Amino acid sequence: MNIDQIKKEFPIFDEKIQNNDLVYLDSANSSQKPKIVVDRINEFYTKQFSNVGRSVHYLAVAATNLYENTRSSVQKYINAKDKNEIVFTKGATEALNLVANTLGQSYLQEGDEVLITELEHHSNYVPWHFLRKSKNIKINFAEINEEGEITLEEIEKKITPKTKLISITHLSNVTGAILPVKEITQLAHSKGIIVVVDGCQGAPHLKLDMQDLECDFYAISCHKMYGPTGLGVLYGKKKWLEELPPYQGGGGMINEVKKDKISYGELPNKYEAGTMATAQVIAFDQSIKFLESIGIENVMKHEADLVEYGQELLQKNNSVKLIGNPKNKGGVLSFTIEGVHPHDIATILDEDGVAIRAGHHCCQILHDKLNIPASARASVGIYNTKEDLDQLNQSINNCKKIFNL
Amino acid sequence: MNLKELYQEIILEHGKNPRNLRKTEGFNKDAKGNNPLCGDNVHVYLKLNGQKIVEDASFEGSGCAISMASASIMTDLIKGKNEHEAKEIVEDFLGMIKENPELKSEYLSKDEKTKLMCLSGVKQYPMRVKCATLSWHTMVSAFDEKKEEVKTEN
Repeated sequence: MNIDQIKKEFPIFDEKIQNNDLVYLDSANSSQKPKIVVDRINEFYTKQFSNVGRSVHYLAVAATNLYENTRSSVQKYINAKDKNEIVFTKGATEALNLVANTLGQSYLQEGDEVLITELEHHSNYVPWHFLRKSKNIKINFAEINEEGEITLEEIEKKITPKTKLISITHLSNVTGAILPVKEITQLAHSKGIIVVVDGCQGAPHLKLDMQDLECDFYAISCHKMYGPTGLGVLYGKKKWLEELPPYQGGGGMINEVKKDKISYGELPNKYEAGTMATAQVIAFDQSIKFLESIGIENVMKHEADLVEYGQELLQKNNSVKLIGNPKNKGGVLSFTIEGVHPHDIATILDEDGVAIRAGHHCCQILHDKLNIPASARASVGIYNTKEDLDQLNQSINNCKKIFNL
Repeated sequence: MNLKELYQEIILEHGKNPRNLRKTEGFNKDAKGNNPLCGDNVHVYLKLNGQKIVEDASFEGSGCAISMASASIMTDLIKGKNEHEAKEIVEDFLGMIKENPELKSEYLSKDEKTKLMCLSGVKQYPMRVKCATLSWHTMVSAFDEKKEEVKTEN
C-alpha cells in the first residue's frame, strides 16, 4: 500500500492552507474527500439528476437505481443480512435519534433503564435524555477505567433487572478505546437487552460485520468515511425496523393516505420520509469503493502503526499528557499540555498548517470525569503519514516555546 | 496572521497569573457566561458602592490564555469606573476587537488603552474573538442583573 499514492487521490492536499502544506489530523471530526467522491456529486448533478422513487421518466428510474445501488453496497460492506436493514438518514445523529424516538414510542416504558457509557458523544446521550424527560426512563453510566476503557465486566456490573437497552460507542472519539461490542452484545442478548452501537468512529476505521457483531442497531456517519456530509446510515435488524413505528411523516414513507386513516410504506421507505440526500447517497457508493480498493485490513494496519508511532512520540515529549491508554486503541491521540489551554494549542498548531481539534469533542461527561475542561485531539485517517505526526510534535514544541515552557 | 502579536508577553503573563481570579467578598452584582462550543466558562463579580462606582471586580472560571488575560485586564481596569463609564468601555473594547484600529473612550487612560490594545491581535483570529469577549459580555450582564447565562456569539 502506497500512502503517497492514496494521498494524491485527495485534491485538498494539493492546496496550500495559509501558505502551508496541510497536515490534517482532524479525521475523527470529519475526513477529507477523495476526488472520485467529489467528482461523482458533480457528475450526478450535471448529467444524471432527478429525484428518486417518484416519477417514471428515464432519469428518475436511473437515479433510483443508483440510489438503491448504494444501499446494496452498504449492505455488502457491513455484511448485513438484508438490504432493507439499511436506512439512510441525514447523519449518525439522526440515526440515533430515530432509534431512541421509535423505541421510546413503542418499546421503552416508564422506569426502564438505558445503559450508556461515560465515553459517549452527546449524540448518544441527549436522545436518551429526551426519553428521560418524556417517558421517565432512567439512564445509567458505565464508568471508564484508568486507561480510558469500558470493559465487559463494567457493563455487566451496571446491568440491572430493569436494563432494557445498552447504547455504546464502538470506538471512543477521545480516548480511542475500542469497545468489546460483540461480547457486550452476547451478554446483553442473553438477558434480553437491546444493543445500539454508535459507529461514527468505528465505521471508517474498523472491519464491520453486522452478522458477526449481532448488535440490534448500528449508526454510521458517512462524512467520517471519506463520504459526503448530510448523510448517515442506520443499520437495524429487520425485525426491529418492521416492528417499530415510523420516525418522520411525509412523502415516500406512506402506503395509502385517506382522510380517516393512513398506512405506512414497507422497509426501507418507511424510514425515509421526504426527498433524501440523493446526490450524497449516490456519491457515497464511491467512498465504499475507495475503502474497498485499499482494503479495511490495510486501513486498520496503517492507522494502528500511525497511532503507535504518535503515542511514542508524544509520550517522550515532556509536558504532554496523553488521555487514556487503552490496549485496543483506534487512531485518536487526545492530549493536554500543562500550562497551555487546548484552544491556544490548536491556534498555534494551525499556524503551521496542522489541523487538530480542541474542546470537549461533544463529550462533556468524559471531560468532567477526567476533571479537565477541554483537550486537544489529533486523529488520523488513511492519508496520514509518520511525517504528519513528526510535524505535530514539532509544532507542539513551538507551542511550548511560545508559552515559555 | 501573526502568533507573536496574538500571544504577547503581557497576555501570556496575565493568562498565567490572572489578576482578580477570586470571588469578591460582599459582591452585589454577578453573572455567569459560557462558551458552549469550547466549554470555557466565567463568573464575574462586581461590588458597587453607594455612588454606583465599581469598588471591586473579580472573576472565577477557566479558559484559554486569551480569555483569562482578557478577564484579568478587564477586572483590573474597571475598578473605580461607574456603570455608564464601564459600559462605554465595553462597547469601545468590543468595537476594537472586531474592527476598529484603536480605542476611543475618554474614560480610558493612555496606559489602560495600551494594556487593552495587547488583545488587538485576536482580530486576525475570528474563531478566537469569542474567547476575548466572553468576560466583557458577562460583565454587562452582571450590571443589567440578567439571570440567564451569557452565551458567546461569534
